Amino acid sequence: MFWISAAGMALLAALVILLPLWRRGGRQVDHRDGALAIFVDQLKEVEDERARGLISPEEAGAASIEIKRRMLAVERQEGGGSVRTVGGAMVLMALALVVPVLAGGIYVLTGTPGVESQPFAQRAGEREEDARIVELAERLHTRLSGEADGGATEGWELLAQTYMKMGRYADAAEALARIIDRPDAHSGHLTQYAEALIAAADGVVTETAGAAIDRALEMDVLNPAASYYKAQWLEQEGRLAEARELLVLRVSQEESVQPWMAFFIRQINRISAQTGDAPVTLSDFVEDRGPSAEDVEAAGEMSPEERAAFIQSMVDQLAARLEEEPGDLDGWLQLARAYGVLGRSDEALEAYRAAEGLLDGLAESDPRRGIVAQGIASNGG
Amino acid sequence: MIPELGQFALALALAVALVQSVVPMLGASRGNLVWMRSAQFTALGQMVFVAGAFGALMWAFVVSDFSVRNVAENSHSLKPMLFKVAATWGSHEGSLLLWTLILTLFGAGVAVFGANIPHALRARTLSVQAWISVGFLSFMLFTSNPFDRLMAAPVDGNDLNPLLQDVGLAMHPPLLYIGYVGFSIVFSFAVAALIEGRVDAAWARWVRPWTLAAWMSLTGGIALGSWWAYYELGWGGWWFWDPVENVSFMPWLLGTALLHSAIVTEKRGAFKSWTILLAILTFSLSLLGTFIVRSGLLTSVHAFAVDPERGVYILALLALSIGGSLTLYAVRAPAMEGGGLFAPISREGGLLVNNLLLATATGTVLFGTLYPLFLEALTGDKISVGPPFYNASFVPIMLPLVFVMALGPFLTWKRADLRGVLQRLRAVAAISVIGALVVWYLVTKGPVLAVLAFGLGIWLFLAVLQEWGAKIKLFRAPLGESLRRARNLPRASHGMTLAHLGLAVCIFGFVGSSAWKEEVVVFAKPGTEVQIAGFDITFEGVEQVPGPNYMAFRGTLVVMRDGDFVQNLYPERRNYPVARSQTTESAIRHTLAGDLYAAISEPAAENTGNAWTLRILYEPLVNFIWIGSFMLVLGGALSLSDRRLRVGAPRRAKAPVAAQPAE
Repeated sequence: MFWISAAGMALLAALVILLPLWRRGGRQVDHRDGALAIFVDQLKEVEDERARGLISPEEAGAASIEIKRRMLAVERQEGGGSVRTVGGAMVLMALALVVPVLAGGIYVLTGTPGVESQPFAQRAGEREEDARIVELAERLHTRLSGEADGGATEGWELLAQTYMKMGRYADAAEALARIIDRPDAHSGHLTQYAEALIAAADGVVTETAGAAIDRALEMDVLNPAASYYKAQWLEQEGRLAEARELLVLRVSQEESVQPWMAFFIRQINRISAQTGDAPVTLSDFVEDRGPSAEDVEAAGEMSPEERAAFIQSMVDQLAARLEEEPGDLDGWLQLARAYGVLGRSDEALEAYRAAEGLLDGLAESDPRRGIVAQGIASNGG
Repeated sequence: MIPELGQFALALALAVALVQSVVPMLGASRGNLVWMRSAQFTALGQMVFVAGAFGALMWAFVVSDFSVRNVAENSHSLKPMLFKVAATWGSHEGSLLLWTLILTLFGAGVAVFGANIPHALRARTLSVQAWISVGFLSFMLFTSNPFDRLMAAPVDGNDLNPLLQDVGLAMHPPLLYIGYVGFSIVFSFAVAALIEGRVDAAWARWVRPWTLAAWMSLTGGIALGSWWAYYELGWGGWWFWDPVENVSFMPWLLGTALLHSAIVTEKRGAFKSWTILLAILTFSLSLLGTFIVRSGLLTSVHAFAVDPERGVYILALLALSIGGSLTLYAVRAPAMEGGGLFAPISREGGLLVNNLLLATATGTVLFGTLYPLFLEALTGDKISVGPPFYNASFVPIMLPLVFVMALGPFLTWKRADLRGVLQRLRAVAAISVIGALVVWYLVTKGPVLAVLAFGLGIWLFLAVLQEWGAKIKLFRAPLGESLRRARNLPRASHGMTLAHLGLAVCIFGFVGSSAWKEEVVVFAKPGTEVQIAGFDITFEGVEQVPGPNYMAFRGTLVVMRDGDFVQNLYPERRNYPVARSQTTESAIRHTLAGDLYAAISEPAAENTGNAWTLRILYEPLVNFIWIGSFMLVLGGALSLSDRRLRVGAPRRAKAPVAAQPAE
């Protein structure tokens, strides 16, 4: 439908260029005729004014002579200067072709072909969905607040994540504030809390957020989110070198590529630009075995179908590699997470089980234990 | 789909404009009629495509298609329909689209109604108009795309600003734009004439209706804007010498000068070069205004420097069009033939004074507008140039203008008898002086300038009436005879009378409402009484009143005069919870003699208790401003309807056979 309408418009444009070839007639005035008509009218006007007594006969005479002189001048100027009423047809025909093509080119450069309009009235479904989520969130909030033990930690966490998605950062922070001092609170809760506070303050790391970040680092020094926000805090305080150092340190602690690294690298390079340090790339730190930063970047520009296919191929690669190196715990976790995203919970469960087998020998406080347990639980294991 | 079609329509308009900017110009220089005529079709086509794009954008606003960034940022599903429509031109991108639409409308106007304009001049004019189109269409497509899409469309829009939900404001930009973009066609005529190397009395006649049309709508736009400020902003002022106001006022001043100098060119063949220069400068000021308003320069010079892409593009357009046209002017103007000679005291002389004073006034406003910008750019100091500057500079320039304006129409062309004219105006002068003295007596503390200005207003008003009376022999011939004469007088003549009267009426309003304004600001508690301009006003208290999408605090004021009840006034302070903003709804008692104007706002500080801030103003004669403005516009319309402006369109012979050559 779009292309038909666009083609119709392009045709109209071509027609506009070609029309003068069809309709050759029509009134045309050359300069002399036009000017003479006006001067004749002016003479008549002078005569009228004289007749009405608005100007004296002498004034009228002088004015008439002046106008007549102008008429002579026009007559003199316009000797030849004949105009052709034919010719130039080829140029117009060529232009009639050029115009639609040029316009098409401009459109492809500036437009977004194929994107449908989304009138408000047709989006009732989406709004209902939104309204339902809001309602569910409110119900969850009421229920959790009403419970004697203050409500389940997971419940508040879920509620906070929902609020974050809805852009209600202050509410999210408020929900998380209820659980961060509980015994089962982990480092992740504190970074989520800090994240909500920072978002609510338009990106400023507040005192409270800073304190939460420090606590998160105390509980798990390897929590990448905590390092990230700690760096942001340092940067805000003007301690650029320290911020950069912290980010570099955290990236270099990893042996394999982690999904969060791209953010760190970008952040390091942004700060480097100010501190005058050389920019870094992912391959400076780890052997590149996952999707490269370029791949990830490319994924951002893909259509939903392309992106799904891209993720699929990445997952397949990862799965194939783990067949050969089954001892890579982080690899399994990554694979499990990817399956989770793709909605293939059976395979996700399998990957979590494989990871579970590698947990022996890890410290009790290692957050990966929690991740695996949670993953198995949430995938029906 | 429809937003995308709108985008494609813009692209087509640009391609067609590119053709129109070259082909007719070449046709005119080579004498190829087909190429020249192509301008008429492309001008129409351009207008249709831009109108299509504008319609598509408006559709997106009407149905609240939030996948269009512009709509998501500047509308909301809960906005009343009228303001959804008006939001089409509310944003930067939308207003540019409107700008371009009006540009192409004037081009199409010349294509359709310009049958009496010689083909070569018409073709060149439309080509020049297309150059401007190309500039603005490409600006829009490449830096300010109104149809930018959002991949994830938000569920609802962002903007519900209640201050902008006002009918006056909705209508203001279109009217203002019709005015100052309208001067583009005059500019195109001037550049075309320079290229052609032929400016004569006939040229001035061909251009006049277009100048008039642009001038009328600019006048209407400015008046409406000040009316809006007066009603909606709640400050009780109607003109703030704000840069945004100034940039529309400068083209008006210069456009007014152009309107008058073109008359001299038309009648006497003189002032040619000056008229052309004015045409170029008037539109240049319109462009400058667009640049100042649209580049973000006004919010802060530094904001402009941070994201200069748009500003630099308009600046380049500005440099190209102003620089190019002035260079062309410098090359061609000296070759123009001089026109008829005239003595210093003559109609021409009077109009020359008008032009010089208007140009000087424009310069003053330009200085006052740009100086703070330059100062901020150079030193970082932010200053604002306000009424004191303009009262001291602009007003004294305009007063002699008003004085001469009364004399002008009495002067004859070439050489006039000033003594005779002054003798005829003796009575008028006497009444004006007496009038000024009466005013002086009534308001003994009034500023001298105001008394003088008021006297000049009376002088202008009466002189214009006397001139009109003389033309139709009012009271000196039987009434029937006078009426017949009035009917036979060209409409442009009535138009002039009406417009000049309108200005006199405006002056009464300007002076009355600014020099003799009374203002009382009090912290009011129920029972507080205020005396102003002979009124006794009692504040009864404030109650909460719910509105459709706001909660209002409504104050009740009882207005009494000499112990008699006059009326109640209900000023409101409205709170819009969704938009988190407040507006002031002033309550006004209108009379021709003056407005009683009341506004309330929340208790300013804790220590004032629950007292409300009550502002009461009495603005004498303020409505004369809008009555006068209406007369100005109506005068323009009368002039525009003059039969003579359509002279020159040859009637086609009924039987084309007659055109066949004799054997």
